Amino acid sequence: MNPCKEVVVVVPCSGIGKPFGTVSREAAYDLCEELRSESTRLVALAKLVLGEPGARDLVAKHPAVTIDGCKQMCAAKMVKQSGGKVAHEVAVLDVFRRHKELKPEGIAELNEGGRKLARVLAEEVAESLDGTGQSVKGASHV
Amino acid sequence: MPKYLEMTADKFTFRVATDRLYTAQGVWILPEPDGKRVRVGLADYLQQHNGDVAFANIKPVGTKLAAGDQFAEIETIKAMVDLHAPVGGTIVEVNGALDTAPEAINQSPYETGWLALIEPAAWDADRSKLLGPAAYFPVMQAQVQEELKNL
Repeated sequence: MNPCKEVVVVVPCSGIGKPFGTVSREAAYDLCEELRSESTRLVALAKLVLGEPGARDLVAKHPAVTIDGCKQMCAAKMVKQSGGKVAHEVAVLDVFRRHKELKPEGIAELNEGGRKLARVLAEEVAESLDGTGQSVKGASHV
Repeated sequence: MPKYLEMTADKFTFRVATDRLYTAQGVWILPEPDGKRVRVGLADYLQQHNGDVAFANIKPVGTKLAAGDQFAEIETIKAMVDLHAPVGGTIVEVNGALDTAPEAINQSPYETGWLALIEPAAWDADRSKLLGPAAYFPVMQAQVQEELKNL
């Protein structure tokens, strides 16, 4: 199913070495490769940091969903700094607070709780993108 | 507003409020104006060291503590942190705002991020074991330096 009409760019954080960063990336993969593959484009944060033209062009042309692993909100900040428009800012921590039972552990490979948390997050973003009127809980519209 | 001692290491700045006492672990203790209770919370370095707080579980009102007993457990994105009572006594109030906004511990560790009010059982005896800000500051500096070695 892919009810989204407008293409959105998805930018997860690059918090390598931390479970919450890994959740952000796994959620982005779920969203862009399975749940809404036709209407999303995954952009690596590192490409924005380096100013890679293709990544900057995507961010400039399409609204972005940022998924951050910590409150530094690097992905959201980098999209804005790159001239993009952030449609949704999502923090993994905010989703975890609503799903305490899904504690993410592991770095290279998430535990079951982390995988489920990533899926929940991805599904919430997907629903939000569908324009069902249900915004991403814990996210802010910019 | 308290005044602070500050140190900067790498890109981080750590503050020590000068109006209160500390344990070496990094729990602060601020006597209330009524002279009967003390407010407790996490020092700036302890909260930054452990990262964003997801949940703060504080023992309920009425809990009786001996100095050193666990009185709270903080779950962060990095770790579960057991916090030990700096004084013996009874918990008479917990910061209920942390139930819905535990990020206050990170955003305002010395003010709105306080954890609990304790009515000490033997304040004079317990106070003598606590560190003033000038004594805690080098302890914190040593902890920071030790952490930098491991980076």
